[in-house]
Parts: sequence; structure tokens; C-alpha cells
Amino acid sequence: MLIRAKINGIEVQVEKGTTILEAAGTVQVKIPTLCKHPDLHASAACGICIVKVRGSAKMLRACCTPLEEGMDIITHDPEIISVRRTVLELILSKHPNDCLKCGRNNDCELQKLAADFGIRQESFKNFLSPLPPDDSTGTIVLEPQKCILCGRCVDVCQNMQNVWALSFLERGFETRISPAGDIKLADSPCVRCGQCSNHCPTGAIVEKDDTNRVWAALQDPDKYCVVQIAPAVRVAVGEAFGYPVGTNLTKKLYALLRRLGFKAVFDTNFAADVTIMEEGTEFVERLTKQKGPLPLITTCCPSWVDFMEKFHPDMIEYFSSCKSPQEILGVLAKTYYAEMKGIDPAKIYVVSIMPCTSKKYEIKRCEEMFASGCQDVDVSLTTRELARMIKQAGIDFVNLPDEDPDHILRDYSGAGVIFGATGGVMEAALRTAYFVLNGKNLKKVDFEELRGLNGVKEAEVQIDGKKIRVAIAHGLSNVEYVLNKVREAKKNNLEIPYHFIEVMACAGGCVGGGGQPYGVTDELRKKRAGGLYQDDRDCSVRFSHENPYIKKLYAEYLCKPLGEKSEHLLHTHYKARPVYVK
Amino acid sequence: METDRKIILLADTEQSQQDKLRDFYTSFANQIKDKGLEDAVSLVRASDIGIYGKGFAVKILPRGIVYTGVKESDIGAIIDASVKGQGTVERLLFSEEPKQIRIVLRNCGVIDPESIDEYIACRGYGALKKILSGMNPAGVIEEMKKSGLRGRGGAGYPTWMKWKFTRESQGDRKYVICNADEGDPGAYMDRSVLEGDPHSVIEGLIIAGYAIGAGMGYMYIRAEYPLAVERVKKAIGQAYECGLLGKNILGTDFSFDIDIRLGAGAFVCGEETALIASIEGKRGTPRPRPPYPSVSGLWCKPTAINNVETLANVPYIIMEGGDKFALIGTEKSKGTKVFALTGKVRNSGLVEVPMGITLREIVFDIGGGMLGDKPIKAVQTGGPSGGVIPVDQLDTPVDYENLQKLGSIMGSGGMIVMDESDCIVDIAKFYLGFCVEESCGKCAPCRIGGYQMLNLLNGIAEGSGSLEDLDKLRRVALAMQRASLCALGQTAANPVMSTLRYFEQEYREHIVNRKCRSHKCRSLMTYSIIQDKCKRCRVCVINCPVNAIEGDREKGFFIDVSKCVKCGKCFEVCKFQAIAKE
Amino acid sequence: MAKLTPKDIDSKIAAGLDESGDWIKVGMSTCGMAAGAGEVFSTLQQEAKKRNLEVRIKKCGCQGMCYAEPLVEVHCAGLPDVVYGRVDKETAIKILEKHISAKTLVNDNIYEVRTRRQA
Repeated sequence: MLIRAKINGIEVQVEKGTTILEAAGTVQVKIPTLCKHPDLHASAACGICIVKVRGSAKMLRACCTPLEEGMDIITHDPEIISVRRTVLELILSKHPNDCLKCGRNNDCELQKLAADFGIRQESFKNFLSPLPPDDSTGTIVLEPQKCILCGRCVDVCQNMQNVWALSFLERGFETRISPAGDIKLADSPCVRCGQCSNHCPTGAIVEKDDTNRVWAALQDPDKYCVVQIAPAVRVAVGEAFGYPVGTNLTKKLYALLRRLGFKAVFDTNFAADVTIMEEGTEFVERLTKQKGPLPLITTCCPSWVDFMEKFHPDMIEYFSSCKSPQEILGVLAKTYYAEMKGIDPAKIYVVSIMPCTSKKYEIKRCEEMFASGCQDVDVSLTTRELARMIKQAGIDFVNLPDEDPDHILRDYSGAGVIFGATGGVMEAALRTAYFVLNGKNLKKVDFEELRGLNGVKEAEVQIDGKKIRVAIAHGLSNVEYVLNKVREAKKNNLEIPYHFIEVMACAGGCVGGGGQPYGVTDELRKKRAGGLYQDDRDCSVRFSHENPYIKKLYAEYLCKPLGEKSEHLLHTHYKARPVYVK
Repeated sequence: METDRKIILLADTEQSQQDKLRDFYTSFANQIKDKGLEDAVSLVRASDIGIYGKGFAVKILPRGIVYTGVKESDIGAIIDASVKGQGTVERLLFSEEPKQIRIVLRNCGVIDPESIDEYIACRGYGALKKILSGMNPAGVIEEMKKSGLRGRGGAGYPTWMKWKFTRESQGDRKYVICNADEGDPGAYMDRSVLEGDPHSVIEGLIIAGYAIGAGMGYMYIRAEYPLAVERVKKAIGQAYECGLLGKNILGTDFSFDIDIRLGAGAFVCGEETALIASIEGKRGTPRPRPPYPSVSGLWCKPTAINNVETLANVPYIIMEGGDKFALIGTEKSKGTKVFALTGKVRNSGLVEVPMGITLREIVFDIGGGMLGDKPIKAVQTGGPSGGVIPVDQLDTPVDYENLQKLGSIMGSGGMIVMDESDCIVDIAKFYLGFCVEESCGKCAPCRIGGYQMLNLLNGIAEGSGSLEDLDKLRRVALAMQRASLCALGQTAANPVMSTLRYFEQEYREHIVNRKCRSHKCRSLMTYSIIQDKCKRCRVCVINCPVNAIEGDREKGFFIDVSKCVKCGKCFEVCKFQAIAKE
Repeated sequence: MAKLTPKDIDSKIAAGLDESGDWIKVGMSTCGMAAGAGEVFSTLQQEAKKRNLEVRIKKCGCQGMCYAEPLVEVHCAGLPDVVYGRVDKETAIKILEKHISAKTLVNDNIYEVRTRRQA
């Protein structure tokens, strides 16, 4: 049903239920807000987005008030602007003034609004609570002092991710965000997905910055620094340099990383192809030889792994033992590559560029992450940290020439690159599983039904006369639906609802990862994923098992998927973990 | 026979001449004796006969004649006319309609609150019987419409409309909630009703449930009211036993249950959306409206929330008819209102008055005037959301609209009388401090605005304020009024704004002259020794905690202002009133 | 208690409040309790028993005159209903001895005198 109303005197027609904030967009008004995020419910916390109805002194919150038939909205007049400025000044009076030292300097919604409103002085006394930062997770840093209590992180953590690590404590002026019971984040249910940091409008939650460790390693003559870039990084890093969203910058990144001083530049996409070889084979073995229970559940996502170990340990038996691409590349760099090049693995320093904060946790998750004899990945950076390193180095990223890869641990198939989008792992695995079961390749490579941003996607795929039921969930709050179906079936001895399940902790998969550039929306997620699917289409090889360098790897080194060497280097285990440590 | 004896009550309607009442009594007794009437009458001293400020009063029973302004010289005439004879002394005759009308409090102090039989004997559950034996829900709502009853919780929304909207909303279940989370400082109307006549509220809630189509009602009572909770629990139990709650009430198809929920002491949980969140087990913070609870309330079902006093009116309206109820009150505010009259008034307590009565009548005719006959300065209504009404507005008829025009609100019914010893800045500080303490902390304007305003007020009270602070107070107040999410924040600045409106001069005295005329603001006081009166006993010197009193017995003693902490100890201990306080 | 029928309600209402005999009501809401109504109530009960007085000692809620709590309303044949305020132990005994037994009103604590309520 359509609603007719006026905004600033201009006639608008919008769907019933459209908020004033959204409707204002149709007449080119962007009403400022510090709490409303397109991903989230309106918390109505900040009080900045107020507007008036003509003839009334009352002010409405545009973020959560639906436009009604016949309304005559004014989005700006001197009084509205003045009230917004006062509210902004009040918020600033409980926020530190140390923008220069902040993780969000130059990329902060509060700072930007203060600039837009021309705040030039402190009208009110600054009251800061002495709340210490919490960097206990080693992945994200909570700085409650900088928090403006917009509630986004709490909504993300509780509702989008169903983790409930963050909540509001105390009330009134003393209100703050913290894990319940005032424990450290590391002892809380936090799965380090970093979505809180990605949605935070200020520097109250930021990724732990490891760039200095990388600079130090690059300078160390005893270290042989190599680097890998994850699929989703290449279509997002450009946003920090003014590229259109979703631009694929793979070849510029190769050039860039060489110029930063890395001796070898690898691509996590290659390791994704290895994952498919291992996980695809694992799936086929469980399906045809009953070598384990079905459904098989993917484990590329460390936040999902952590979530499952904490909240769904009864699902461990269904988990693929295959490591994530980041870890596979790390261990292959320190074994296969080291042997081939005759380098002491202990000297190799593996840096990974990931769209993810949780990958910083994964590199030390358990003893199998040290399968090469030393830590397989030494440091994991987020896309945001890489963007900063580029700027620190002063490299003109935009005008950098494209460079070609040098093949080893680098060349990837189209199946490897789509790992970065939700449904991508499933699609890549099905392409190879089809081949393993059928002996021939799919004619129609694209599984459109597995793509897109629906929270849960279910599909049935015919392979060799067999109906394979799959489910894909992204955003941890969508997981329970899928897992409960599995549990129900098991409890009632029914046919399993799915054979194969893919889970990614972040909405949209890794393109929407917690370490990606700020300002993510579904529109951005689609565009970033679009960049990956385009890369897939552009690849001459669309199947992991047809990647010549994969074939070479197995021929020269690993022998066969799930072989002895593979099991040792590329697989891991899981265990139940307490939701609260103390 | 005893009954033949006349009873003569003597009372002092001032406060100042209690001792003289005994003399008056003696004279009266003597004259009765002189006239040989001592066996025909009994003469009694009363403390209070509900008349104030009219000298000595004489009430003669059983005729009920009242004389006021009686002097000793009148005694003879009174005895002759009304004790001996059946006449009156016209010039002293006093007659006045009672100012109070008891609808809400009709049973309070009359029946045993723990006896359902006594409640029924006073026409209780007659209204429930009436609707169940012949009124449909629409008819009940129509009756409420006729009555013109508006919500007594503060906002004054027409009760029938709330019920109608809830009735018309789609929902497989609906709820009614009785809001008994009374929290305004100094207000306890609801407590008294729940303690004195719990069944009237329960009956009102059942009728509300019938009218809107709800099968379940909750009574949300603050846990600080243990006696009220106990009596309500008992009353609910009795109602179940009598078949007035539960399945098939009074043998009809109508079934209704009531459960109690305890509020944990957060003022904001009196706000309807926060109250709902609290019942649902969530953090008690308001959420944006729309959707209104009548559309989506408790557990997202249509919900009507009514205040205790509102519900206590309902059985009366059904029994007596809406038209009869509407005879009481003003055009837009019907019925009575219960106020908790406190402060510097002689008779603090609960009063139930028809809407449209003036504040002056309440304070002087019912409240008995000012304590100690000090001049009245202002009346505060509406609790922390209300404002002060200065003495020149005391003749305004009390209703929702008038109080709002004066910068205050009806609120739930707190009414605090102030005299010249009350400092206006101190009062503003008190109420604002309450709101700052009770802010839930969700939205920035309320959370920070209130705190900053309080900080400014503290500065003014401590003598460090500037005239610019008054502008700042107004600016923040506007932001709080316009941009706060719920009524708590929107009205928190009212006590400050209304005192600034009527008593700006007093603020300026604090700022410019560094003086508090009421001697309430400690920092602004100066103590000095009046040399003429000082007997040089050194008691003040010994008692001064900071050794600020210097000098010796020869030269005399002086207070060193730079050392003095204004604790007032010297003033307290001086037996010769030789310490001056300004 | 048995479930009531609409008829029961009608007849109970028609019967009205049982105000027969002599009775004393003590305001036992929070305002009264805080001012000492509990002690007054038990004193009245004990002392009435001691004196073999036929008087019902009852509880009621707040009458509104919180400033004068504890409030005690006395209904005694041949006298108007009287509300005594600021009643303490001693006054309670006086009420029994003077008002109930001797049928004279007690000086200085009267806060309201009511003409008889219609039963």
C-alpha cells in the first residue's frame, strides 16, 4: 500500500511502513543519525534524527517513525538544527577529545557529524568515566570510554549474531557496554566476529592493530616475509581508496604487496581450492562410504567454529575436519613452499590479509595451527589494517600497475574466489563433488539458488541421480533454524534434512566480514559479492580440481585428499568450550 | 438517655492558639454550668473539624450546626440559641459544601481491605455482574466514553479510546496491565488504593479485560510496596475463590486471569513500553512508539495499560453510569483526582477533589493552610515531570490543560506545597537529580542532558554559576524536551524550566549576588559573629571543626571566611543567637 | 468460599455493610502502620478483651488524613461516629474506657465527627 505525504513541501509516495528517514532519502535528504544502521532495528538512542510535523512543536525520531498518510514533515529548520547541535554537543561532552589517537580518526561517524555541525568549542564540561579498554580477545579492542551508547553493537551481538557477549550495564549516566557481569570479553561468549567493530559509529570497538608487528617483520633481515590475501579482501579494500564498491583489485594487490616488501605474494584463493579438494572429498566419503555422519558442516569460518564449540557442541561430529584456507595456505607456505625453495620454515613469516577479526584468533586456535612445526600463520591483518599500511607506505594504490601472479600457492580457480560470499563454499564444493561422484564436470557451473542474501538458503541438487539437500546460513542468528532441523530429525529418527551445510558467521559471508571497511549494508555486500562472482566467471578454470597448481600440489607433495600428509597438515579437531570462562 | 445529650465540639481552626483552646473550653464549660446545662450536654475538644483559618469553631450535634470565628463573648448567645433553644446565631453560622468527593477512595478507610465480603457489601463486583449480565464490550467502552475518564497516570489519554484501539487491534491474544509502579517522590495515591481497596482495582482490571477482549491481566506493582502486594495477592486469591476470576466468571463464557509482576525499583518502568519490557524479562528501557502498546504491546500483542486510579474509577462509572460521573469536573477533565498533598502544608495526606477545584482550595480549605502559617511560595505538581506553580496562579482551576499551560502537568497526583524557606534552585536540583538518577541511559538527550543540567544547577547553587548558564539550561532543556525518547526525558527539565519561568530572579540572585534568600544553598551562606550578642563563651570556637573562629576573650571572636566551610555548627551551638547567617 | 452467582452479588449488595453493634476501625495502611497503628490495633484488641467489652476491632485502609495517623474510627451506639487521630496506646485505652464504656467523647484527639452513615 502506498502512502502519500510531504517532506519539506515535496510530495512523496512510499510504501506503508517506510520510515521518515528512509522516505527523506527519496527527496535527497540524508537525515543525520548516530544510531540507526541499515542492518539494524532503530534503537532510537541518539536523538539526532529528529524532524517536525508542520504545525507541531513536537519532534519525531525519523529513524523509527513510519511516514503516515498526509504527514507534512520538515526535516530541517533553525530549531531542528539547533536541537541536533545541542544533542551532539551533549554526546561530545561524554566522549574523549583525542581524535588524533583514535582507531577511527578520519573514519568516524561522530567526528564527521561534529565537523558537519561546525562544533568549535566545548559548551559543556567533559565528563569521562574511567573505564579501561579491553583487548583481552586479541582480535577486537573495546574502549568503553569512546562509546556513545548507540546500541548498534549490542543489537548486532544479541540479535544479528545471537552471541549475547555484549550488553548494557548500569543505567543513567553510568550506562556502559560490557560483557554481562563485567568480565573480560575473552571470558565472555564473544566469538570475535568483529561485527560490533564494523557497525560501531565511533572508535569504541576497533580491530586490534597488528600493523606494527608486520612492519617490524618486514624490516627483520632474518625473516622471509610472505603474504596471502583472502577472497573477500580484493573486492573491498578499494573502498578505502575511492574505488567503486566491488571493484576487484587482485592484480593491484599483488603489485602492492610486493612493493610493501613481501618476498612472495600468495593467494588464499589457492588454499580455498585445497579446502574444496579436502572437504569435497570428505563429503563424498561421508555420503557414499558412510565415513562419518551427515550433514557435513563447513568450518572455514573461525567465529562459526567458536560459536559452535560454545553453543552447539552436539554438532561437532558433523563438522568438517578441514582447516580454513588461511591456515592451509600458512602451513603449505611453511612446508611445501619452504621445501621447494629450500628455505628454513622457521624463517618464513606468514602474514595474512583477511576480511575478518576472528582470523587473528584462529591462528592460535589449537595445536593443529602449528602443524608445520611453528605457528603456520604468524600474523593476520584485517582489510582495514592493510588499507592503513598502504597509506603509511605512501603508495599511490589507485595508479599502481597490475601485476601478474607468480603461480605457486597463488593461481586459483573460480571456485576458490567465491569463498568470500555466502554460499560460495557450498557452490565450489558441489562443483567438485559432482565431478568426484560423476566422473565428469557440471555443464552449468553456476548455482544461482545458493547465492544472495537470504539468511537461510535451502536447495536440492541432483548429482548422479542422488538428491543432495543443502542449506546455507549466514549471520549467526540464522544458524539455529538449520541446526534445530538436524536435531529434530535425529531425535525422531527421520531422514536427515540436509546433506551439507555451509555456515558463515557474518551476514553476506566474508564480503561482510568484521574486518572489512566500515559502512557495510546489504547493497554493499551484494556489490562486493558481485565482484567475486565476476572474477569466477572470468576465470578460465572454474573447478578446484582442475586448477593445474592444485593438481601439481597433490602430485608432488600431498598425494591425495585425505591422505596421510593431508590429514597431518590440513585437518584439525574441535572441542566443546565453556560459554563463560570463569 | 445518652442520646438525648447534645455534644458540643470545640476546635481551633488556626494553628497558633492551641493553648488558648483550653481557656476557651473552660469559659464554655463555666457558662454551661452557670446556665445549669451540664447534664444536658457533653463538651469536647476536637483537634480538627475540617475547617481552617476561622478562629474558634463550635459544632453542635446532633443538629450539626457549626459556628466559626467564635469569641468568648459569643458563648452565651450560642448556648442560648442552640443549646437551650432550637435556633441559631446567624452571624456566626458557617456552612460549606464538602470540598472532597470520594469516588476512587470510596471504600478506603471504610472497608476491611482484606475482606471481599465487605467490598461486595459496598456495591463491589456489582459492576462486573452488571456487564456480564447484559453489557457487551462495545457498551462498556461507550459508557467509559460518556464518563470522559482520562488516564490518571499522568498523560491524561482518554481511557475509552485506549480500550477501543486495543479492542480493534488484531491479535490472537490481548492483555491488560495495571500500572502500579508509582514512583514520583511524595506521591502514594496508588499505594493507598491498593492497600485500602484492592478489589476496586481488580474489578476495574477485569472490566477492562472484558472490554478489550483480553483473557489475561498483569498487575505491575513496585516491590517497595510490600503491604500493597500482600493485600492485592490476597484479594486476587479471594476473587478466584469466589469465581470472579478464572474460568467462566459468574457462570458466563468470560474467563480472565490476573497475575502480579513486581517492579524492581526503576522509575522508568512506569513508562508503558519500559514496563512491558520489564514484564517480558528484558532491560527496562522504553522503545520508540509507534507501534503503540494498543497495537503491539506485551509479547507483541495488543495491550491496554491503565493506572491504578484509572481502574479504581471504572466500577463506579459502570455502576452509576458515565453520565453521572461526567457531572463532576470540568469540560475536558471529568471526575475527581486524588492528590497526595505534602510539603509545608498543615494536613498532609490524600485528598480526592473534583477536577476544576483551585489549588488554593486544596491547600487552604482541605490542607488546612500552611504549616506554621508561613507565606506560601509555590505548589509543585506532577512530580519530577511537573513544575512549580507560583502563588499568583493558585486560583487556577486544576485540570489537565490548565496545569500544562502553567508549565506543569497533572501527573500522577503528587502535590508539594512550598513556603519561603524553600529555595527554588534547590527544588529544581532535587527533581532534576531524581530524573538523572532514574534515567535509563538509553537515549543521549536524557542521559547526558539531565546530567549536564544538574551540573550547571550545582554550580549555581555553589556560587560558581554564570548568567550564561541560564541560557545553557534553557538550551539543554529544549533538546531534552524535543529529542528524548520517552516522557521521562521529555519532561525531566520541566521542574527547571518552570522555576526559571516564574523565579528567574531567584536564580539571578544566586548567580549575581551569590545569595540564597532561603538559606538553603550552603555554599552561598556566610556566618559571622554578632559582637553585641557574643558573650565570648568560646563554645563556637571549640565546636568549629576547621578552626575558623579566631580571636580571644578580650578582643572578641571573628569567623575567618576563608577557612569557614559553612557547616553551621557555630550557629547551632551558640546559646545567645550571636551567630548571624546570611 | 463457594463460587458466587450473580444473585449472590445482588443479595450481598442489598444487605450492605454489617455495621451492627459497636466497632472500632484502625487504619492499617502503610501510613498508619508507620505511625504505630499496629500497636494501637493490638492494644485495642487486648484491652477490650480484658474489659469484656463487646466491640469489634476491625482493620481498614487509609482515610486520607495521613498527617493524623494512626486513625481510629469509633462507632458506638448512642454517639456519632468519631474519628480519632494521632492515637497512641494511652489514647486507645481512653477510647475504650471513655468512648465505648462511658459513652463520652475523648478530648483533644478528635479529627472528624460523622453523622451516621446510612446502612
